[in-house]
Amino acid sequence: MSPLATHLFRLLAWSLLLVGVVPHAGAAGTPFPDQIDRILDAAHQAKGLQPAEEADDEEFVRRVYLDLAGVVPTPGQAREFFEDAAEGKRERLIDRLLAAPTFSLQMARVFDAMLVERRVATIPSYDFKPAQWQDWLATAFRKNMSWDRLAAAMLQSDGTSDMGAAAARFYLVRDVEPHLVARDIGRLFLGKDLQCAQCHDDPRIKTYLQADYYGLYAFVSRLKHFRDDKQKLNFVTETAAGDVSFTSAFSGEMGKTNPLLPGGEMIADPTLVKGQEYRVKPEKGRMGVPTYSRRLQLARQLPRKQTSGFSRNIANRLWAQMLGRGLVHPLDMHHPDNPPSHPELLEGLSARFEATGYDIRGLLREIALTRAYQRSSRLPEGADPKRPPAASDFVVAALRPLTPEQLGWSVLQVTGRLSSRIQRYDRKLKEAADKKPDTASGKTSEQAQPAGDSRATSGLDERNWQAHRQAYGELAGELTGLFTVFSPLPGQPDNGFQPSVDQALFLLNSEQMVKFTRDVPLLDRLTRLADKPDDLATELYLSILARRPADEERQQVAGLLEGRQTAEERRKVIRRITWGLLVSAEFRLNH
Amino acid sequence: MRGLGQSQRHEGVGTSPGVQLVSRRGLLRTTLGGAAGATLLGQSVQAAPPLPAPRKLLLLFLSGGASQLETFDPKPESRYGGPFRPIATSIPGTQIGELLPHTATILDRLAVIRSVNTGETSHFRGHYLLQSGRKVPGYPVLGSAMARLLERPGDELPGYVTLRRHNPQAYTDVGDAGFLGPRYEGVMLIDGKPPANITRPDTIDPAAAKTRDQIRQLTNRRFLERRVPRSIQSYADSYRKADALMRRREVFDLQRESAADRERYGDHHFGRNCLLARRLLEAGVHCVKVAHHDWDAHFENFHWQRQRCLEFDRTFVTLLNDFRDRGLLDETLVVIMGEMGRTPRINYYGGRDHWGDAWSMALAGCGIKPGVVLGKTNALGTEVVDGAVDAGDLFHTFLAAMGLDPKGNYQVGGRDNPIADPAMSAIREVLA
Repeated sequence: MSPLATHLFRLLAWSLLLVGVVPHAGAAGTPFPDQIDRILDAAHQAKGLQPAEEADDEEFVRRVYLDLAGVVPTPGQAREFFEDAAEGKRERLIDRLLAAPTFSLQMARVFDAMLVERRVATIPSYDFKPAQWQDWLATAFRKNMSWDRLAAAMLQSDGTSDMGAAAARFYLVRDVEPHLVARDIGRLFLGKDLQCAQCHDDPRIKTYLQADYYGLYAFVSRLKHFRDDKQKLNFVTETAAGDVSFTSAFSGEMGKTNPLLPGGEMIADPTLVKGQEYRVKPEKGRMGVPTYSRRLQLARQLPRKQTSGFSRNIANRLWAQMLGRGLVHPLDMHHPDNPPSHPELLEGLSARFEATGYDIRGLLREIALTRAYQRSSRLPEGADPKRPPAASDFVVAALRPLTPEQLGWSVLQVTGRLSSRIQRYDRKLKEAADKKPDTASGKTSEQAQPAGDSRATSGLDERNWQAHRQAYGELAGELTGLFTVFSPLPGQPDNGFQPSVDQALFLLNSEQMVKFTRDVPLLDRLTRLADKPDDLATELYLSILARRPADEERQQVAGLLEGRQTAEERRKVIRRITWGLLVSAEFRLNH
Repeated sequence: MRGLGQSQRHEGVGTSPGVQLVSRRGLLRTTLGGAAGATLLGQSVQAAPPLPAPRKLLLLFLSGGASQLETFDPKPESRYGGPFRPIATSIPGTQIGELLPHTATILDRLAVIRSVNTGETSHFRGHYLLQSGRKVPGYPVLGSAMARLLERPGDELPGYVTLRRHNPQAYTDVGDAGFLGPRYEGVMLIDGKPPANITRPDTIDPAAAKTRDQIRQLTNRRFLERRVPRSIQSYADSYRKADALMRRREVFDLQRESAADRERYGDHHFGRNCLLARRLLEAGVHCVKVAHHDWDAHFENFHWQRQRCLEFDRTFVTLLNDFRDRGLLDETLVVIMGEMGRTPRINYYGGRDHWGDAWSMALAGCGIKPGVVLGKTNALGTEVVDGAVDAGDLFHTFLAAMGLDPKGNYQVGGRDNPIADPAMSAIREVLA
């Protein structure tokens, strides 16, 4: 087809799409995941793109565990899924994963990485302990706290409340530095990086005005860090006065502003009687509390669908979390010159998210149910891998690097240590509960739950949650070294895949990896199978890569074991193979 | 010529790290430099220009903030001048502090700037500001920028190495690559030790390593089938580089340098690290930063400045002479600076405090006009009266001296970001 003809064809396809297909895509009655897929199907047809086939069960099970549980499945979990022959097994697995303790823990990690971006406060003891913050997040996700409430909790917390004190970490980890805080509120809650607008109107992006930046900045310019030396605790305090004015570094023009959200209206401070500016007057050693707080205004006004960018930003981020790329990319560059790859899709996701009251678990569920999420990472037969499709077309599942946490926990999962630790805690908790049957379900759930069966379930649920929480909490210490080596840089969004030499050296030579692969349950289990190399190979690949081995791989395993007579020799070989699989690209990537 | 212009323009910093952003001057030098250049001009537009002569950068970072009054900008007549006297240098009419007697003899090979005004008095922000040329956080520091801009296909050694006495504090040498990402973060050598995990532990015998590698490669090969190859290959590439680094680990071993050299450079952290820097730059590392610690003299400033200068002076001149004799100086930019200067006012404890308004730094090597003394402070040293420069100007100057285009852009994560702050500019007076 000539270029002109191609162009005309596309134009035609698009106009058909606009008048014909799209209105139906949003039609009531169509399940939301199908609406998503129809929009993408239409875009593929218009561009003449052939999407990849559906992921097979092996691809799917590993991916969905990594995304929703934060670790690869155990061989038992993978096998159970493969052997399930009933209709709708993917949906059932998704629902099971969303209800499991691992979902809350995984989401805590995802949102920690998103909101803290691996920052460390300049003086770490002037911050909340990361573990407390993670625990706050995990608890919030366990209760399925909605995104608007989660955002409000972070923006409003000054660290004093009993419930949400740790939410103040959003401010504290940024040293309560108003410019840093303002910039990150723009990026993380509204999808707009106003960094350059700090000094002048951004020369590259017309809509990023300096006044927008300072409007946001005015909400937080009065914030300061407060350290209570007696209690050794840290808080966010606010002064009652302080105006914001700014000068362009290029034009020298001056501006003055009150708090203002992008696209919103300026919020005037109330006039207060002189001498009554504070509810608690700041004094040496005592934290001041102003009568009127701009921070509380921010917490009230920003997390609402009326705020331009609030819904789109998070809808886009959750999409990127599951698909490996935002509809708007980079995630913090929402502006007219950088439109979404699929505008209607982003609108649809945002609207759906608003309609469900910002239900994060619900939106992730619907994304996980789409064909788009469940596509194979293998290109269609006959496609040229040297000329891969654009990531923004979503025709093939992205190859995404495991996060440091997914990687670390997956290493402990495949070697069998994670599940044995969880089981150990579960036993302990059960024994403790059996000893004191009256308080089996713990105080809180007793109050919250009516008597009867649901109470027993809730007790079991609580025990399962505590077993996971404690096992993960305890093993986390062993992974510190790995997390450090694989961590993206502080204050930077995860920016694609940048494997570095020190990471490879860590996986090949570090004492930690020696320890992770020595004396682990996996080796005991596999060595017992060494008389049957075929069974061994199956179990090995299922444990580590969540798939069955190919013939070529079975032969290699058999070849390596040939002539190894003693259990010790065999164990050595199995360990080498295990380690080889752990350093493969297939293990390193979520595919 | 149009083709040249195009290929020069920009893939460089964007997709293909091999092709560099080159300033017009740098490009002309390489293309017109010989027969290869002549052929190139006649070639079709697809032809990439040959890589420019590799330039290197050595940053000697006076951490904590050296006193300009005891080093490059003495004020003997001032009440703030302190006990030390100025001495004559190899630049007629220019004097520096008596604590730098060796440096005084080679001052004509340096360009000295006496008019740095950053106004920054925090160690944390100063470290970042002076190395990145930016106030706004998130930009890469000089070393990471060099690792990215000078990266070549086939590089086996890390592009940027930092040499330190001890583990970094939260604000130094951590997260330095900014938005360029971990790949361009400096490899840190603490107290002369090699990078972590560079040696295979004894518990993994060669046969085990071989099996492990066979399995890895077979798995990768199968995984690559019908998949988008980019991340799979770049992951495999990190293992190839790890392998190369393990093979070349003697590069990090100072014991391979002669005893005589170790003696000449001085038996202290700074001396050993400067010799290691020479070794690394000669081996092909693009940028090395040596941190010289403990300049932060809030107490007994004169004792401490003397201690520090004693180490710095002899080692620095040894290094500069070596670099000249080995031909390294023609291709290496040497930057001597800290994150700030020290107050002219002497405090109650005989110390000088943090100071950003009027202080000094020096440059030598490629791209630098030697024998220049730029800028002037007032009689008390409290203010710049002539030739004020800011950190952003210095950053432009470093790039220009390296033959790189300060007006170029990084392309990272789908956005363009200026390599150097567009509101600043290079200091022409010190450029060759």
